Amino acid sequence: MRQSRGAATHWAASPWLFLLPGLAVIAVFNLYPFLATVWQSFTDARTLLPGHWVGLRNFQDMLHDDQFWTALRNSALYVALVVPCTVLLPLLLALLVQPRVRFVGFFRAAFYTPVVASVVVVALIWNWMLDDRGLINGILHALGAGPVPFLGNGWLLLFSAMALTVWKGLGYYMIIYLAALANVPRELHEAASVDGAGAVRRFLSITVPSVRSTMVLVGALSSVAAFKVFSEVFLMAGPTGGPAGQDTTLVMLVERTGTGLSGRVGYASALSLVVFVITLVLMLLVLRAGRGEGER
Amino acid sequence: MRASRIWGRALRYAVLLAVLVITVGPFLWQLSTSLKGRTEDIYTFPPRLLPRQPTLGNYKGVADIIPVWDYALNSLTVAVTNVVTNLVGASLAGYALARLRFRGRRAAALAFVLALLVPLESVVVAQFTLMRQLDLNNTLIAVVLPGCVGAMNVLLMRNAFGQLPYETEEAAVIDGANVWQRFVRIALPSVKGTLAVVAIFSFMGSWDDFLWPLIVLSDSSKFTLTVGLNYLHGTFSNNQRLVAAGTIIAVAPLIAMFACLQRYFFRGVGEGAVKG
Amino acid sequence: MPISRGTLPRKAVGAAVPVVLAALTLTACGGGGGGTSADGKVAGDISFQTWNLRANYKDYFNGLIAQFEKEYPDVRVKWIDQPADHYADKLSADAAGGTMPDVVNVSPDLAYPLARAGVLTNLDKEPASAKYRGEYTPEAWQANEMPGLNGGYAFPWYLNTGPLFYNKALFAQAGLDPDRPPKTYDELFADADAMARHSGGKVATLAATPAIEDFGRYGVRLMNADASEFTYNEPKGVELLNRYKQLYTSGGLDSTALTNGPEESGQKFLEQKVAMNPGSAHDLSNFKENAPTLYKNLGITDAPNNTGHPNMYVMGLGISSTSRHKAAAIAFAHFVTDKRNQESFAHKVAIFPSTKGSLDEPYWTRDDGTDEGRVRVAAARMLKGAVNYTPVVMSDEMKTVLQNQVALALQGKKSPKQALDDAVAQSDRLLKQS
Repeated sequence: MRQSRGAATHWAASPWLFLLPGLAVIAVFNLYPFLATVWQSFTDARTLLPGHWVGLRNFQDMLHDDQFWTALRNSALYVALVVPCTVLLPLLLALLVQPRVRFVGFFRAAFYTPVVASVVVVALIWNWMLDDRGLINGILHALGAGPVPFLGNGWLLLFSAMALTVWKGLGYYMIIYLAALANVPRELHEAASVDGAGAVRRFLSITVPSVRSTMVLVGALSSVAAFKVFSEVFLMAGPTGGPAGQDTTLVMLVERTGTGLSGRVGYASALSLVVFVITLVLMLLVLRAGRGEGER
Repeated sequence: MRASRIWGRALRYAVLLAVLVITVGPFLWQLSTSLKGRTEDIYTFPPRLLPRQPTLGNYKGVADIIPVWDYALNSLTVAVTNVVTNLVGASLAGYALARLRFRGRRAAALAFVLALLVPLESVVVAQFTLMRQLDLNNTLIAVVLPGCVGAMNVLLMRNAFGQLPYETEEAAVIDGANVWQRFVRIALPSVKGTLAVVAIFSFMGSWDDFLWPLIVLSDSSKFTLTVGLNYLHGTFSNNQRLVAAGTIIAVAPLIAMFACLQRYFFRGVGEGAVKG
Repeated sequence: MPISRGTLPRKAVGAAVPVVLAALTLTACGGGGGGTSADGKVAGDISFQTWNLRANYKDYFNGLIAQFEKEYPDVRVKWIDQPADHYADKLSADAAGGTMPDVVNVSPDLAYPLARAGVLTNLDKEPASAKYRGEYTPEAWQANEMPGLNGGYAFPWYLNTGPLFYNKALFAQAGLDPDRPPKTYDELFADADAMARHSGGKVATLAATPAIEDFGRYGVRLMNADASEFTYNEPKGVELLNRYKQLYTSGGLDSTALTNGPEESGQKFLEQKVAMNPGSAHDLSNFKENAPTLYKNLGITDAPNNTGHPNMYVMGLGISSTSRHKAAAIAFAHFVTDKRNQESFAHKVAIFPSTKGSLDEPYWTRDDGTDEGRVRVAAARMLKGAVNYTPVVMSDEMKTVLQNQVALALQGKKSPKQALDDAVAQSDRLLKQS
């Protein structure tokens, strides 16, 4: 950054006065709770009882906790199945609404609606659509197919929640791609068109390479978000995570164990730390994967 | 060649319409359900898309069961406060990081980057404990506080201020304007676009928030709309008409706001993602 | 109820309708600071917190308070009422913040964590309160005794068994006597089997998976003597789960039982797809309005049991250990729960007093010919031997563990024995950690 020549004219305390509100909030409500979480994860603190140092016991307990492994599996599955969709589908959608054809503005705005609605609202809407007697099963019935227990079967519940996440993210990532596509020179496409390259080949050989960095970004954003999924599954499968709790995600487990009158704050903190470490690793992995390809 | 172009265009619109049905259809279906009266069967096969005798009865009904307008007001209070605190806090801090020179600037910037790396979900339990120690749990203040200056917003503002040409401020320095005057009169008006982005995202993020208010609010009279709707869903899941009316109340203001501000939305997401 | 942690105890106070009330700011006296001796003078300002009683019994409580203040002119009672939902969260916030009301309405499972955290007074240790022990039935007092904490932590208040509703028409259709609902589990499973066979699996008898009370009523020993280990995986427990699994396979247990919460179960009963469902007095008006045909055929009975002891839900009044006017708080809590006032409250609402000898009064022994009278007398008779099966040390998390393992067994992913063994192992681990 260049030097500000006005540097000498302001009195020395003012930069810190500018920073004070922001730094204070960050320090008190982000960084301090994080340090507290780290500390608590080595204690057996409860909602109403102060903790004692227990070393690594919370982490050892985790290894024997079926619920933890189920939750980890679900959160990981969420990333594995949701992320490819949120990287690809919005890109295709963006290509669809990129050209300046008639009504395209309307379509862009309409596709963005699910992003604007809050997740609780869209989850309730989906709950009603996927109900045993809801719209989807109504249509299936009309087509002669039996009712599908979208909200009664553990796996179907999880897949339904994933579909909701993808659906809600479509518009958001579409706009990010649109911004990136705006920088791709038109001539490239036109040249390829003249060459007689098919749509698929143009997509693979021109579009994908030119928005590759944006794809990596979308991948990083959506994998972190997918791993931390809470609301969709909580609202569709219920607070205890569907039949036999098999749809519980990691953040749901944190919420469930850490709150309430006899909440296990220590154990929940240890789980939180796992969430933190995995999201960090995920982010780094995706970003590194993106950079690695770029160097080739 | 020309025929294939027409076909291509038709295909494009067909796909666009299909996606339209998928993205907007569910909202319309919910709207339709919310307008169906008590006597109208909502479980018919095949489903009836339009209400036979539209009625607003369910909107009154949902307000009788949960104080949905109070919840909306709570959500609005939280969201507006969040917008204001983020605009003020993030622009102040962003300006200092981008335009002022002082010892410890890099450390301060690092603090914001670190905060960005800590997912909210992994500190909610500690934040809850903290709020109890501060005797703030179960208040709307507690709902606002943790996100009232987002690290992301600070960094967005820093980038925005950082891209302003230095010449703009030089004239003011020569005129003897102090830091505050330069900030308010010159720097802020030049980053209106980013301010709009920060405002919109703070509003949406806050209006949308579910996990944190769910944890920190225990008194049903203080619920925000999302937590209140969850309650409605849990308690009256049998009455889909009421739940539908509740969701429409929650979503309508946002769609209206979006319709008016969509230009900024689109610019915002692009900028936020590419530069953030 | 949505974010219901520990659905059953809350369901049990279903008489308390979840009404969303206007805000009541909580201003407990001062907070913090040691608390005074209980032997002092009965004087000072105290706060009294109830659990969702204002909506229906406002006048009763205002009258009660006025009467107490007349007897003890130096005491001022401030009444606070909390809505049904999130009551545990509210208590936990108060306890942590040192703003616990002086007299607080608790059920034993709520009292336990509070007592462990030292925010409730041990009533057996305070002479001022211990002297009242003899006024209550031993079962009721014992219900508030906390394992490992040597004493009772709440004055027993009202009791309830929680009625079990059944659909007489569905019973009749299946060739069963609609006036003889099942009394034991053998009868229950036989009836359910008949019901499923007769309807070709269309009508289930039950809509919910077995919870800890069901194991208790079946005669399973739930915990060892000092409440340090769970024992419901004993052969008898496995036997119950096996029978439930057969029930699930045959269609006697609703196919969506694994995901049903109380709301969904109630809905199935309303739609007459399920023949029996536990409920509360509040459900009656709902049936009357939304399902008149069901209401006409509604039977009310008690949950079957093999032990001769039905399950009961116990409400109590605890005293904050940091109360600044403990003598006044104890005097007031005793006043609310004494024989006269408990009986007068029980005349107003379908609950039962926990004071010694109350259930021998004619009101609970003589059938006055009305429907309510018949139900009341029958329930009072049941209550005499009733116990609170749910172990107080069983946290919500442990209840979820059981619920999940039961679901796995019903799905056939684990044998019932394996599922209960795992549930017990996990719960014991949680118990040791606490």
